[in-house]
Amino acid sequence: MGLAACSSPNPLQQGILVVGIEGNPTDLDPRTATDAYSNRIDSLVYNGLIRLGPKAEILPDLAQGYEIKDPLTYVFHLRKGVRFHQGKGFNARDVQYTLQSILDPKLGSTRASTFRVIQAIEAPDEDTVIFKLKEPYAALLNALTTGIVPVPDGRGKTGPPPGTGPFRLREFRRGEKVVLEANPDYFAGPPEIKQVVFRVIPNDTTRVMEIEKGGVNLLYNAVPPDLLPLLEADQKLQIVRAEGTSYSYLGLNLRDPVLSNLQVRKALALAIDRQAIIRDLLRGLARPASGVLAPSHWAYHGQVAQYAFDPARARRLLDEAGYPDPDGDGPEKRFVLSYKTSQDRLRIRIAEVIGKYLEAVGIGVEIRSYEWGTFFADIRNGNFQLFSLTWVGVTEPDIYHYVFHSRSLPPDGANRGGYANPGLDRLLEQGRRETDSEKRREVYARVQEIVAGDLPYISLWHNEEVAVLSREIRGFQVYPGGDLISLQQVRIGSSP
Amino acid sequence: MRWFVLRRLLLLVPAALGVLTLVFFLVHLVPGDPVDLMLGESASVADREDLRHALGLDQSLPRQYGRFMSGLFHGDLGESFFYREPVSRVIIERYPATVELAVLALIVALLIALPVGILAAARPYTLWDNGAVFFSLLGVSLPNFWLGPLLILVFALKLSWLPVSGREGFASVILPALTLGTGMAGILSRMIRGSLLEVMGEEYITAARSRGLPESVVWLRHALKNALIPVISLLGLQFGALLSGAIITEAIFSWPGVGQLLLSAISSRDYPLVQGCILVIAFTYLGVGLLADLLYAWADPRIHYGKSSA
Repeated sequence: MGLAACSSPNPLQQGILVVGIEGNPTDLDPRTATDAYSNRIDSLVYNGLIRLGPKAEILPDLAQGYEIKDPLTYVFHLRKGVRFHQGKGFNARDVQYTLQSILDPKLGSTRASTFRVIQAIEAPDEDTVIFKLKEPYAALLNALTTGIVPVPDGRGKTGPPPGTGPFRLREFRRGEKVVLEANPDYFAGPPEIKQVVFRVIPNDTTRVMEIEKGGVNLLYNAVPPDLLPLLEADQKLQIVRAEGTSYSYLGLNLRDPVLSNLQVRKALALAIDRQAIIRDLLRGLARPASGVLAPSHWAYHGQVAQYAFDPARARRLLDEAGYPDPDGDGPEKRFVLSYKTSQDRLRIRIAEVIGKYLEAVGIGVEIRSYEWGTFFADIRNGNFQLFSLTWVGVTEPDIYHYVFHSRSLPPDGANRGGYANPGLDRLLEQGRRETDSEKRREVYARVQEIVAGDLPYISLWHNEEVAVLSREIRGFQVYPGGDLISLQQVRIGSSP
Repeated sequence: MRWFVLRRLLLLVPAALGVLTLVFFLVHLVPGDPVDLMLGESASVADREDLRHALGLDQSLPRQYGRFMSGLFHGDLGESFFYREPVSRVIIERYPATVELAVLALIVALLIALPVGILAAARPYTLWDNGAVFFSLLGVSLPNFWLGPLLILVFALKLSWLPVSGREGFASVILPALTLGTGMAGILSRMIRGSLLEVMGEEYITAARSRGLPESVVWLRHALKNALIPVISLLGLQFGALLSGAIITEAIFSWPGVGQLLLSAISSRDYPLVQGCILVIAFTYLGVGLLADLLYAWADPRIHYGKSSA
């Protein structure tokens, strides 16, 4: 029964690297892509004007350099001699076209709101683009990582537009796989591997069995913590771990009469043993968080209020807040909170453990898990007391404006808990206007202090980035948010 | 017969319209907003409204329904919110994988169920029969989410005979077809046994035997054909279910079929795609039902679909 599919030589030795992904990339056009899988693939096919380094620092990409003439004028000097995959040369008009098409409501791009701040995009010559803004907006640079596509040539081809990146799209079989092949004309030199195949494998166990068998060579943040020890023992595999940029938190509804009390919020934070959850449920694959930004981020500030596990102090704070435990260790609770979460197995287990910690200090918790669409609608509508979620790939500190500014209530932003602090609002507006990175750092240090003191969120942890890959792959580097850009420089060594 | 087929085909129309109307209003009633899920949270109110308008979601529900139905009569199922492609194209890409898996699972089920069912009926209340009962119970009770990974572990990881998952060549369909077929075989073999035992007690079988026909001819030509009539209707139902996508098995084997597509369309509130998938599934069920009815006529000449019997 020796079937052909199994006796073929190892594809890795032929320069074909297979990446297993959990979900389906739906739309590969970098202007409209919404799901994490499409964005991950796009980072190999397209280049933005700038790109982010491992610490979310701004690095040149299609722009060789930029000048901020004044807070309203950004000038980008473009790289020369770059070609799109179909052969057309790249120039300033392509940048102009890409951004104008994003701003066109007909395209329905998720990125339009970020670029609404642009008044005009000028292309005085082939290699220069000037952005004129309506108001100062320091987060613009971060948004310019969006992939640039060419001005259409009018031939009306369907499918994603060509890019300038290290790989070009060869095949897109929806729900099944995406095949990329090396771009021999890539401006930074062609990649060493010939093909990258993204295979959709929704089942956790199947993904793990595929990488054990060698049918898949790389899983990035795609192995549940409890299955990782199995792969750690496998001699054919290597595991690369790095500090992550995602941020898991417990969201609180500050409109709720109980949760509007700061002492209650502090008690909640002190009642949860995050170290134990990280150790036992996440198998050590996370670090406790003190705020939205990870310690590796350029604007991170660690000198903020910390809430180490202290149930005795939590009980005292609740007593002082006017919520005494009616019967000590008995079954009656000080008050009961509902805790909403998705149907993800790990999320539900985390909710159960957090619920147990809160019950230990006399707070009753009702856990309700919902299908994603329903859960998300409830959160957006402010229909919750507690919920847990994760911000993935946090790179721009302006996220604080989006999440905590008093004007960022849904649908204008993600201040779902109705938090308001006028002093913080002023700082967030200043941070958005400030183009000097040192001054911005100072502003956001103060922002992090205020938020940690006011506790509109209870910070849980930053998940680590975990890549499991075949041992023959050399030179793989972890980037924030699951970016696979380092595949352009990996090499295939010999089998161990 | 022709009239029967024509009438059944005409009946497909109101049945499909009923299903679609129900599905249309049900998916719109489910909480969750496709615009939220598409744009994420960072979008402004203006962008949301623009997209809502572009997708036609700002119109009243009856108006959206009217637009959907008028598109349907022009053969247009609309465009998927997430794939940004015509729904028909997205479904057509996935349907062959579903048909391939369903047909093979059915073949596997019949290859197992026919001999097991016949053997059990030929030697009723013996060790053979008990063995067959045990096997069919096992087949029905083993859940696919357990059997699938077990088969992968044995045949892909330990023996290296077959690939773990995906859809690359014939080898890749064997394990998912076995997973689906085993469960079906369990039910079918019991049905075949029961039906055969009933038929074997009929007078015409005694008559056939008394004419001195060999036992194999009595069993296979006279008994089995009649015993298959109730089996066919069960087979039709099960095959219809397989063709509408085997969501769990497709997920385990990364099989790009309609089941997975429908699941993701529902969770992302991709209304046009949900409606398209349901339409295809409804037609599949109705079509397979029609085929089962036609097979009855072949199996039992007493069943006659002529004009007079209609």
